[in-house]
Amino acid sequence: MAAKEVSAGIFEITERGGKQLATINLVPGASVYGEKLIEIKGCEYRIWNPKRSKLAAMVIKKFNIPIKRDSKVLYLGAASGTTVSHVSDIVSDGIVYAVEFSPRTMRDLIGLCDERPNIIPILADANRPQAYAHIVEEVDVIFQDVAQPNQSEIAAVNVKRFLKSDGHLLLSIKARSIDTVANPKKVFKEEVRKLEHDFDVGFEVLDSRELMPFHEDHLGVMARVRPAL
Amino acid sequence: MKIITWFGTLTLDDNGKLLEWDLFQKDTNVLAESLVQPKETEIDIPPAGFNLRAVAMECGFVASNDEYNNLLRDVSIRAAKQQISSGTPDMGVIQAVEALDDIDETTNTLSERLAEWNGMYFPEVGLSSEPLARFVAKYGSRSNVLPDDNLYEKATSSMGAELTGLDEKLVKGFADNICTLYDSRSRIEEYLVKSMEITAPNLVNIAGALIGARLVSMAGGLEKLARFPSSTIQVIGANRALFKHLRARAPSPKHGIIFNNPIIKNAPWWQRGKISRAFAAKITLAVRMDVYSGELNESIKTELDAKIESIKAANPRPPKRENKNKNKGGKGRKQKAGGRR
Repeated sequence: MAAKEVSAGIFEITERGGKQLATINLVPGASVYGEKLIEIKGCEYRIWNPKRSKLAAMVIKKFNIPIKRDSKVLYLGAASGTTVSHVSDIVSDGIVYAVEFSPRTMRDLIGLCDERPNIIPILADANRPQAYAHIVEEVDVIFQDVAQPNQSEIAAVNVKRFLKSDGHLLLSIKARSIDTVANPKKVFKEEVRKLEHDFDVGFEVLDSRELMPFHEDHLGVMARVRPAL
Repeated sequence: MKIITWFGTLTLDDNGKLLEWDLFQKDTNVLAESLVQPKETEIDIPPAGFNLRAVAMECGFVASNDEYNNLLRDVSIRAAKQQISSGTPDMGVIQAVEALDDIDETTNTLSERLAEWNGMYFPEVGLSSEPLARFVAKYGSRSNVLPDDNLYEKATSSMGAELTGLDEKLVKGFADNICTLYDSRSRIEEYLVKSMEITAPNLVNIAGALIGARLVSMAGGLEKLARFPSSTIQVIGANRALFKHLRARAPSPKHGIIFNNPIIKNAPWWQRGKISRAFAAKITLAVRMDVYSGELNESIKTELDAKIESIKAANPRPPKRENKNKNKGGKGRKQKAGGRR
């Protein structure tokens, strides 16, 4: 067994010939959602399944993940915290602002926040960043997985308010939640075009790849704010 | 400019420089309380790019990054807990409806098993589901059936094997468990009827307690249901048919779970679409009345009855079905099923 760091805080574990993603467990001994724990040289890793996490799928798809050990991350669409827990592992010296709209899933998320020192739970609608502007500071990375028809707009309003000028946006676009019947390829193209031209923050799309075979009809996007000329 | 943050209100000059501040009491509960208060106006929130952390230290609210993180974390967790703990009565209704569905599913599976199992010993019993479970739970082996039971004859002359000892204990215990589930089901149903009559009297009056409760459950709450258009209420629960309709050229669904109401279920097929539409419209009115006034209004029901009568009078006979195009060779335009029926 060997662990190789593929990006800050993200490891590729080789075990019996198979490769798996993992992060170092910030709370040793605790498994968050039933994922496997593996100890290598006195360090406990949590296996990170790309089928359950769009961010993990983006890692495997060779996105250049901008999250560092001391990053501040705004996570929109935290759900019950599967991916958030791994982000919390990665930013062991940073902080995660986890925004989730549904009170039911917030219940699970709070359980996670109770166990971990670096997650700030926020029950709010990501459409209205003004509702949490008194809590959230400027961040290095915004990760968004909200599956809403207006997700690029949500990204734009949050980036405008919270992203540092040299920060990055990571976005998972779900074609089916924008238009259930249209061809996903067309939807992706249109969304990327919107990001680049439609909002008062102009995005520069650095990378975009489909998350097949881990997530069907999803496009991963990494972008930053286009520097003023 | 005055702005509010999670740790206090600040006054800034035009260049964003901090002039004065009024800090909240440094207590988790107090801070959480003020965090939950909705802040609507744009004027009161920090401008984009405002450095909350640096200002909190500048005012002396916290001394270090770690203290900032820890305090904000505690406050946010407390606030989030407060926000999700405000349950409403319709949330109880939702859980009850879902429990009902789970019990139905479970009792069906278990009853089938019991029928198979008991069939080895008493195949002539002729009962199923609840009556069968009650029968087996009462007697166990058919040799225990009393002469005044009308299954006595069949029980004594059955071709089934003898049920004795450990087998009898198992089968009887199994049936006992199923009966407990049926009891639980009827208690939940009672609760639903009562609680729906209190929370949504108009909805119960139009659609009945169970269908009403199902609608509330599928919408995710009474208030959410009140915001649905009646076209949604008409087809809610027919998701597959609806998406098939949107995606391909399948006919649109006429009714979702409201179909289970006898006024639609017992209507002849050619009237069902029209009745569903009227029915859904009145349900919409009823729910809105429940949410926004809360008083029972009988007139919706009378209007609905009158509307249904007029639909029945106007459409006494089935319309002629269009001839199916028998030309399968592809010549001529193929008739596709489409449009409202």
